[in-house]
Amino acid sequence: MADQTELHQKNLEKIFSPQSVAIIGANKKKGTVPFDILHGILMGEFNGLILPVSPGKTHIAGIKAYKYVTDIEDPVDLGVIVFPSTVAHMALEQCGQKGIRSVIIISAGFREVGEKGVTREQQLLDIARKYDISFIGPNCLGVINTDPKVRLNASFARKMPAAGHIGFLSQSGALCTAVLDYAEAKGIGFSKFVSFGNKADITEVDLLYYLMRDEQTNVILLYLEEVSDGRALMEAARDVIRQSGKPVLAIKSGRTREGAAAAASHTGSLAGSDEICEAAFQQAGIIRCGNIEEMFHIATALSYMPVPNSNRVAIITNAGGPGVLATDAAIKEGLELAAFSEETARKLKKALPNTANINNPVDLIGDATADRYESAMEAVFQDENVGGVFVILTPQSMTDIDAIARQVAQAAKQYDKPVYASFMGEASVASGIRILQENQIPHYSLPESMSHVFAVAHRFGRLLERKKENAVEPVVPGKTKGGAILQQAMGEGKSYLQEYEAVQLLKEYGFPVWEGQIAVSADDAGHLARKVGFPAALKIQSEDILHKVDVGGVQLGVQTEEEARSAYDAIISSVRSHVPQAAIQGVYITRQIPRGEEVILGMKRDPSFGPVILFGLGGTFVEVFRDIQFRVAPLSRTEALEMVQQTKAYKLLAGTRGRPPKDLEGIVDALQRLSQLALGHPEIRELDINPLIVLDEGKGCFVADVKVFLAEPSSTPEHHEFYI
Amino acid sequence: MEKAEIQTRVIKVISGVLGTEESMIGEKDNFIFDLGADSMQSLQLVAGFEEAFDIEMDEDKALEVQTVDAAVDFIAQYL
Repeated sequence: MADQTELHQKNLEKIFSPQSVAIIGANKKKGTVPFDILHGILMGEFNGLILPVSPGKTHIAGIKAYKYVTDIEDPVDLGVIVFPSTVAHMALEQCGQKGIRSVIIISAGFREVGEKGVTREQQLLDIARKYDISFIGPNCLGVINTDPKVRLNASFARKMPAAGHIGFLSQSGALCTAVLDYAEAKGIGFSKFVSFGNKADITEVDLLYYLMRDEQTNVILLYLEEVSDGRALMEAARDVIRQSGKPVLAIKSGRTREGAAAAASHTGSLAGSDEICEAAFQQAGIIRCGNIEEMFHIATALSYMPVPNSNRVAIITNAGGPGVLATDAAIKEGLELAAFSEETARKLKKALPNTANINNPVDLIGDATADRYESAMEAVFQDENVGGVFVILTPQSMTDIDAIARQVAQAAKQYDKPVYASFMGEASVASGIRILQENQIPHYSLPESMSHVFAVAHRFGRLLERKKENAVEPVVPGKTKGGAILQQAMGEGKSYLQEYEAVQLLKEYGFPVWEGQIAVSADDAGHLARKVGFPAALKIQSEDILHKVDVGGVQLGVQTEEEARSAYDAIISSVRSHVPQAAIQGVYITRQIPRGEEVILGMKRDPSFGPVILFGLGGTFVEVFRDIQFRVAPLSRTEALEMVQQTKAYKLLAGTRGRPPKDLEGIVDALQRLSQLALGHPEIRELDINPLIVLDEGKGCFVADVKVFLAEPSSTPEHHEFYI
Repeated sequence: MEKAEIQTRVIKVISGVLGTEESMIGEKDNFIFDLGADSMQSLQLVAGFEEAFDIEMDEDKALEVQTVDAAVDFIAQYL
């Protein structure tokens, strides 16, 4: 962790657990933020000293008020600034003078309002650095800590939420109030609740590290509108998951394809900001959720229940139809119905009526009592083949809904396996659902949601195991001459490399390339073609021509010297007619690569996540089929292989219908080399290897075409760390 | 009008709107940070100055004025 991060961690202790809080800019006017903040702290029964700072007032809400925070004689742990933005900096300066190092700035009117606000925000940061202050905000709802030892509601949320083990971090303040309302209705509690607003100083990354160590928190939820430092977020999420085993769930709004339209390469046009975000979250182990409901469905399951140790579920139901629905949903989500042991079958047979179905799904029949549910749960929970239990109930005339809910809660306490419930319906099952919620049994109105959540939880469990074996090792040892090739091209003012330069660059990184030579006459072409070997491929070399095929600049399958001479003339003639003003350096001649499966490898540099690697089915129709996968570099071997396995093209590559399997190892190796090349050379803006020809297993693969686009010299980003 | 006289009238208006004793109002004081004016009182101050000096000020610019001495300079432009 950087020094600043360490400072934030230290100061965050007093943001969440202060012994004294000064509300700077408090007032007596109901319906205003300054009043509501003070009111929230008072009504939340804060276990510490409350110190209103309000010029012109001697008392607020019966508490002595101070003109300035510097007038307070006692030490102050936390300053909550509610003054308008025009004077927030004055309040922060006084916090520094008073020795307050932990601050929440609620006030709006900063970066979000334009240029003036940006200047004000910078002013706050300058003061914070001067005094080693860390602050949350500005432009935020505030912070809540439900820990009974603290009970701090330094926010203008309507009320303090119930205590729980879910930590919620949000960039949007307005969303926070909606989330609190939703959670209250569902009986969901929180450990910490933070609206971090403009995240000018303390960011989601700092808060993730804080919650990683927070004993009250076992699940972390994030709502983000922008990811300003994607690599830091990925590193933090990985650390949280690896070191604490706590799941990180995120909603990232703004699923647009901005930035992709103006790209030069196939990779650039395929990699929109949302695709990259999606890939990065997956890679870091962050569970991305589509909406608030899905987020809390998953969060409650992971917070209340153990992670499933297998994907084999037992379904217990009092109705056949819902049992079938749940089975369908489970299979669709990649789950399996557990095959019960003989012992379980025996127990079920003994406990249930003859009409019941003792296979999975277990149908207890419509007149099922709480006792029947109890017996069935006891039997399946004890079965080693069962990784988790789904309890389904439909409200029939004889169903004692509340008793069954209590029975589920009782069973959940006895076994270290997850149990999820679906009490289907609305009005009649409401009280039963409340009992489930009070007892922290995840409940889902639909079996489909229940299956989805179980599958997510199971994948998270597998991720925890895999994290231990996912190290990234460099595949290209030592230094290469790649930098010199790129620097020379940039020095010449080029925006992309000529093919012979690009091939040299790839060769430095050990890619499977067939080198060629440039012919400057037809005779030259004949000699060089014989030298590289037949069949040969001839391609125009001109800095003015990027897409060679479009101007007749490529001739393939050349078998003789004579054909090579003719091909040379044909290329020059076609290019001259298509682009008369093009400066032609010559024709590049290589041995033609044998036929194989065509795939694309690519790289795009994202401003937030850094170099992003693409893999997919290649060739001309890559944009049409979009059978592609992204990952943020660096890539471990496992991640590179997963990229390949997660495309539809994998079935082709693995061998199907009598076709031999292709050289997957070669692809994985090339992906890792590309990852290292991208990390080593920020001068590269975008890169396409399209196609990479993949031969049969054991025979390797070859780069058939490569395009390397260079960054503007002034915009070359910094080197990224190899490891994240 | 002399600046000293403008200042005296400005302080009188502030005292009337915010309920602060005139002797407690300093020329460098910030209306919000030092004198505790809220947004409604800021509007009342602008209206109070206009009435006291019989002038009509640009309201947006007037609300940007933050301190007593800046208010004195701002009002002087209209006299």
